[in-house]
Amino acid sequence: MQKAIRIGALVAVVGFLVALMVLNAGKNNDMNTWNAAMTKGDPATAQHHYIMYTDIFCPYCDKFSHAVSAHLAEFDKDYIEDKKILFEIRVTDMNYENGHSNNSRPAGLAAYCAAKQNNFWDYYYNLINKLYDDYHSKGIGAERDSPRHIPNLELSYFYEAADGTNLNKDQFVQCVEKEETAKELDNNTRRAYNTAQGLPYFVFDKYTVSGMAGTWNADNDWEQVKLMLNAGLTTK
Amino acid sequence: MAIRKIAETVADRTKFAILSLAELAKQPRYLIVGILAFLVFLYLLTFFRDGGSNWQLIWSGLPLGDKLGVLGRVWRDILDNFTSFYGVSIIFMSLFQGTIIMQLVFTWKNRERDKAIDGASTGTIAAILGFITLGCPSCGVGLLSALLSAIAGTGAAVLAEQIGLILIIIAFILMIYTIIRLGYIDYIIISSEKAKETHAKSN
Repeated sequence: MQKAIRIGALVAVVGFLVALMVLNAGKNNDMNTWNAAMTKGDPATAQHHYIMYTDIFCPYCDKFSHAVSAHLAEFDKDYIEDKKILFEIRVTDMNYENGHSNNSRPAGLAAYCAAKQNNFWDYYYNLINKLYDDYHSKGIGAERDSPRHIPNLELSYFYEAADGTNLNKDQFVQCVEKEETAKELDNNTRRAYNTAQGLPYFVFDKYTVSGMAGTWNADNDWEQVKLMLNAGLTTK
Repeated sequence: MAIRKIAETVADRTKFAILSLAELAKQPRYLIVGILAFLVFLYLLTFFRDGGSNWQLIWSGLPLGDKLGVLGRVWRDILDNFTSFYGVSIIFMSLFQGTIIMQLVFTWKNRERDKAIDGASTGTIAAILGFITLGCPSCGVGLLSALLSAIAGTGAAVLAEQIGLILIIIAFILMIYTIIRLGYIDYIIISSEKAKETHAKSN
């Protein structure tokens, strides 16, 4: 009798957890573009809409973007161009709002400021690669609970990431300092909460997934990214 | 005084548990069971270590070859466990679970089934706690985050990291407790078997 109760309790706990996961899965996928400057591909001819919800200080999000950045030409040619994908990044500062990283706020503001000058992609990949060189490649802020392990960064760090892009630096600095994009960032973070089940959260047509398996090895992680991109093309 | 006595008892039982594990490891069939269980846990924990992304790929519309590739890639990812604290904790969790399974099989085979079931219950709870804490609680990825957000909304993510750490510690305490407890029982079984053998020889 006691054994049956024990087994029953275990089954109930596991069942409860699985049910919670199922109930929490994929809701309110908002497929309208949020910010056109944060998209890649031609919306007029696109046959697929891929969305990535991210926070620049979310390690698993950066793992995905770092792999893409290292294989950008292949990504642009094989997926954006050939497969006619509209790829959209929805930047949030969820990790700032939930108290895990103060850096996520200025990073989010800077990303939207770069988008304001229609230069989001160059800036975004510059910042991702800078974070990789300075922290992630050294194992700092690279794992599950570690966004907080990257120290609070000065605003100058985010300005440096604009070097080598076509951004008007003065306008960019002013935009970040005056928090000109705060409203858009806050609004989009709130909207993301309605959809994203954790970060990163991917909506690749009918294929939705949160998390990113990988090892911070750009070539190995690119294989994982390609599987995820292909899953979006093949999942009905 | 009482604390000292408890500490002595724990130290003695730990010593007996280690001795019994050394005996079990000398017997190939139990060693193989332990190694297989270790590999199974290591594989599963690594498969889910970054949340459900591998799992989702298995259920996606990818061709079978790609899905098999996902399953195969986990073996390579296992090696990366050695490069981080999180990964090392996965290795130790698998090692402890493998040890518990080896002890359980030995205890069960030696007709101490009630004690084996007790050990299995505690070991299973530890395993469930281990799986719950996988993923990235602070990113909201993983079972623990799903659980907390369902109960307390998205704001609960702030708690996930701390709760995850507490659950991992509890899981390790439960596993060590189970290993010592089963190890002590196994030591008694092994000692009595040896005593019977000596007795039989002397007769």
